[in-house]
Amino acid sequence: MSAIDPILLSVLRRRFKSITEEMGLTLLRTTRSPILSEARDFVTGLYDAQGNMLEQTEYIPVLAFALQPVCKNIVAYFGDKLYPGDVILHNDVFSGGNQLADVAVFKPIFFENQLVAWAACKGHQADIGGAVAGGYNPQAREVWQEGLRIPPVKLYERGELRQDVWDFVFANIRLPIVQDDIRAEIGGCTIGERRLMQVFERYGIERVREHIDALYDATEKQMRAEIARIPDGTYRGASTVYFDSIREASEMQIVVTVTKAGDEISFDYTGTSAQTPGFVNAPLNTTLSALLLTFLMLVDPDIPHNAGLMRPIHVTVPEGSFLNPRYPAATTFGNTLTGPHSDALFRALADALPQRVTAAWNRVLACNLVGHDPRFGRRYVDILFLSQKGGSGATYGVDGYDHIGLINCAGGILAQDYEMFELQTPNFLRRHEYWRDSAGAGQWDGGLGIYTEMELRGDNNMAIVYGDGVDENARAFGVFGGQPGAANRIEFVLPDGQGVTPRVKDKVENLPKGTVFRQWAGGGGGYGDPRKREQGLVRARMRDGLLSREKAMDVYGIELDGL
Amino acid sequence: MFRIGIDVGGTFTDFLLLDKTGAATLYKTSTTPHDPAIGLLNGLQEMADAHAVSLQEFVRDVELIVHGTTVATNAVLTGNGMPTGLVTTEGFRDASQMRRGIREAQYNNRYRAPEPLVPRHRRLTVRERINYAGECETPLNTQEVCAAAKQLRDERVMGVALCFMQAHANPAHEQQAAEILRRELPDAYLSVSSELAPQIRFYDRTSTTVLNAYVGPLIERYLTNLSARLGELDFRGVLLIMQSNGGVASPQVTKRVAAGTLLSGPAGGPVAGLAFVEPHERGDCITVDMGGTSFDAALIFDRKPLVVTDGRINGHLLALPMLDIHTIGAGGGSIGWIDSAGLLRMGPASAGAQPGPACYGRGGEKPTCTDADLALGYLDPDFFLGGKLKLYLDKARGAIETHIAQPLGMSVEQAAAGMFSVINNHMAEGIRQVSVRRGYDPRDFPLVVAGGAGPIHAAVLATELEIPLLIVPRASSIFCAAGMLLSDLKHDFVRTYTTPWATLSVKRLEELCAAMESEARATLQVERVPQDKQQMYFSADLRYVGQYHEVSVSFTAQELQKFDPDELTARFHARHDQLYGYAVPGAPMELVTLRLTAVGQTVKPQLPRMPKQPAGSDHAIKGKRRAYLPQSDDYAEIPVYDGDKLVHGNRVKGPALIEQATTTVLVPNEYDVECDALGSFVLSLN
Repeated sequence: MSAIDPILLSVLRRRFKSITEEMGLTLLRTTRSPILSEARDFVTGLYDAQGNMLEQTEYIPVLAFALQPVCKNIVAYFGDKLYPGDVILHNDVFSGGNQLADVAVFKPIFFENQLVAWAACKGHQADIGGAVAGGYNPQAREVWQEGLRIPPVKLYERGELRQDVWDFVFANIRLPIVQDDIRAEIGGCTIGERRLMQVFERYGIERVREHIDALYDATEKQMRAEIARIPDGTYRGASTVYFDSIREASEMQIVVTVTKAGDEISFDYTGTSAQTPGFVNAPLNTTLSALLLTFLMLVDPDIPHNAGLMRPIHVTVPEGSFLNPRYPAATTFGNTLTGPHSDALFRALADALPQRVTAAWNRVLACNLVGHDPRFGRRYVDILFLSQKGGSGATYGVDGYDHIGLINCAGGILAQDYEMFELQTPNFLRRHEYWRDSAGAGQWDGGLGIYTEMELRGDNNMAIVYGDGVDENARAFGVFGGQPGAANRIEFVLPDGQGVTPRVKDKVENLPKGTVFRQWAGGGGGYGDPRKREQGLVRARMRDGLLSREKAMDVYGIELDGL
Repeated sequence: MFRIGIDVGGTFTDFLLLDKTGAATLYKTSTTPHDPAIGLLNGLQEMADAHAVSLQEFVRDVELIVHGTTVATNAVLTGNGMPTGLVTTEGFRDASQMRRGIREAQYNNRYRAPEPLVPRHRRLTVRERINYAGECETPLNTQEVCAAAKQLRDERVMGVALCFMQAHANPAHEQQAAEILRRELPDAYLSVSSELAPQIRFYDRTSTTVLNAYVGPLIERYLTNLSARLGELDFRGVLLIMQSNGGVASPQVTKRVAAGTLLSGPAGGPVAGLAFVEPHERGDCITVDMGGTSFDAALIFDRKPLVVTDGRINGHLLALPMLDIHTIGAGGGSIGWIDSAGLLRMGPASAGAQPGPACYGRGGEKPTCTDADLALGYLDPDFFLGGKLKLYLDKARGAIETHIAQPLGMSVEQAAAGMFSVINNHMAEGIRQVSVRRGYDPRDFPLVVAGGAGPIHAAVLATELEIPLLIVPRASSIFCAAGMLLSDLKHDFVRTYTTPWATLSVKRLEELCAAMESEARATLQVERVPQDKQQMYFSADLRYVGQYHEVSVSFTAQELQKFDPDELTARFHARHDQLYGYAVPGAPMELVTLRLTAVGQTVKPQLPRMPKQPAGSDHAIKGKRRAYLPQSDDYAEIPVYDGDKLVHGNRVKGPALIEQATTTVLVPNEYDVECDALGSFVLSLN
């Protein structure tokens, strides 16, 4: 007879989720960098003693699915030299990380002198050293030019701070707030540890372990049932990535072959372009994260996120391709490849899951601003989340989501509050509004993009631009007759009136005070024939100033009187 | 003379009437959603009839009415508010609809954002601009304000929100524009961000101001109408309105901050909790209220309910202080189901009142929490609502058999026990949200249990949380109405004072506190609160330099006399560690805001107390029933007591059931009960 109590399973599932949410709240409340405290560019998670995922809170999913492999690496690396009170820091791309600026803290949890679990927090830090402040170097050709590599290293051992290690790490990072934000991550792990200890106290080690295994099995079963609903077959999809940041006019292909048989599914990326000489490469774990987060949108959104999830999914990514590059490739653009990657997946699965896929999401075109803030006499670094968040693709029966932002985050990332933004950086906002006509038309429209305009008021301003979606063919495509969303664009207008349009990966230096930054973040793709769209909805959008008369007539076929 | 607490709920309006001897009587009428004042007056009529006087004679004798209203809440939840407009800074008209671009359900591509309360064509902009430091960059274009006013007049809006960028740093443009709008739109309800919530964060302020403008005309009309009708009846007493912050306020103050009533209904609960722990000399407790569809939990520490300033209602942020009441979808009607992983789940879907649980026999086929409670022997099918509603055990068992037991390969008994356990764990999780997550240990707090379904579940979920003391008030369904009569007048004030803590000017702090205090005392004076009944509670929002969220640390008016920053420093570090797992003693801190909560003590009715009787309780035994006992995971014949016959001092040993018409208390083996002076059933771990 099985000792598994199905009721305790339900209880633990919910409890683990609640703990990771509380860890997330801790980070949100205590971090300094606006990237974390305003935009929530972080994840929290719990793992079992071997490093298997128990549960996570994923404000930015593309980071989240790379924690489990790192946790496993850490377990293997330290072996029996792990003690209560240890705190381990990690960011290294070639031992499982996403991007050097995404720095994780892991804390082993001991109960009755046994390693029973791990708590982890991972957040996008405001700086990670390297050639360019802020962690994005579009000119990098190898990993060392991107920032400081931190393979697993103990910041604390048995509860004692290793001051020498701490000082070494932070001697290589420009901004002192990164120290504070790592402290906040440690605090988040401590909250996770305190709460999980209570679970072990209540139910005992053996009982919790058995039920964790059963929870993985239950999730696996749920995932298999979801996969079984997809028609058996082989499906292919592809998409193009524009410009590798080194070779002018370069184009890379993402090619995926999906084979679904019974309750298993495989994804084979054979045919994908070779690794690039620039930073447009995704570490393997980033590629796997991008696949998983897209696939999770195509199944029951309620499935718990734990190690059981991945069991029926098989992935082949050829080594040396730009989705699994060889050491020591530069890879900072890897997270940003999630957009085009999801395009290939949606294209592949559109016919198999016509009511579940979405049209394409707007591919992100991001811009970091770095400079000197004369008001407070300090350096500032910010990622312009507020101006980059475009629209998502429409799906059957539902319009896309306005201003949601990159698919990597699935709506978890927040635009900065305007007033906080003006306090945290010297720049002055002039406009931040929905962008008329940016949504891809369809029976269900794509989500709206936005238009942003601001005046740079710092000194020595530099902009790092990295993204996609500018090329006509990189617009968010529509499906089943839906139209594409508007393309992205960034422009700087210098004080003398001269306009500067950066390439999609670029570093623009010496932007003087008074420069105007303008960004159009595009809309999502539409679903179905726009002429079938409910007329009342078209007219409401026109009334709200979000749709022009011309587009209403030409694209939706609305007849308007009194022109 | 009478005092009346009135809680207008979704289905019923509950009244608690206290006469001058303190004797309490309960009344209940059906809520009249289109005009809640009708149901309210119907209740007063019933009371008049019961006292064999005319309505007017009765009302003339009422000295106090405290009223919780769901008018504002319902308007926001259903989107049926009045047409509302927004006047804002050019370039920023979409903030309230964008909600900073969040999608709450990350992986759900079918998730829809809440509809904006003000559609875009009524969000009008004018040229003006203040910068982060409060300096004018672009003067206010008054012609555009006039044009906006005209357009809003043409659109026949009833409420107008006014929110300009950085107005928290300098309200001059808002004041100027407000003057024009008041002149041009004299009949509209105007909500001005710098008056309502003068704090940084444009989205929070806009959203709050819009919510206030959206519900303002409704609240204004409702209260004016209610006051007029009471006036016609020659009402000479005081009418007070329950506020989201757990206090009460006069109709005049309520009309100004209408959004302060968005949590008016449940806000009475936590205060009531304090009254029921009072005989046990406790100033803290956790209150839970389990109704048909939802479960509310709140924590009271040191006589004060916890308050948040970033609550959300239907996805819209409200930056006004409101009680930290955590609501989850778990109630008697919560439906049990098996998910695709084969796990048993309860809720959040609910069978509601129609068709209701399977055991009601009204066509409900899905197994609910109430069905499980019946199958487990906790409910008497012939004594539900005192026998007014017959329950069908076979229908309950059938639904559980089909939907839970068979798929899980269990017996009906096991399945019902599983449903009971899963929903108890949901509720335990809800209690953790208001305790553990806020840095409090639930074991340190007595649990006060309200709501029809609560007392069946409370002891078992308290066991899960190791809570040693539970208090189940008699007639727990009028819990909130009781709380309303026991609430004080309460007003919140804010001042921004951003300074490094190390260079804090104590003089400046004292001046700002004094300014808030005089404003507070003026408000309380309008409400006729004598000086010696006014109390001031100060707090400072502190953070480490560079953080963007604060930790609130309180200090008393006495401490303000001899202000010691070091004492607050120590409190801040301790609280930061408690909340967030670490503190950095010695690290630079900064002050952001000073807050004052001003309380005007009301004269509280004494809840009637019973004289103490001997411990024996055999006189109350009704019989025995076979019921499930979770700890032993087995059924046993346990005694059933008539709760109405148990009086102060009577003791009951677990396991037992205590029945009243609207409430059943399950007393498991590990608890014993004693009835206290207020008649509450007090369960202690034995």
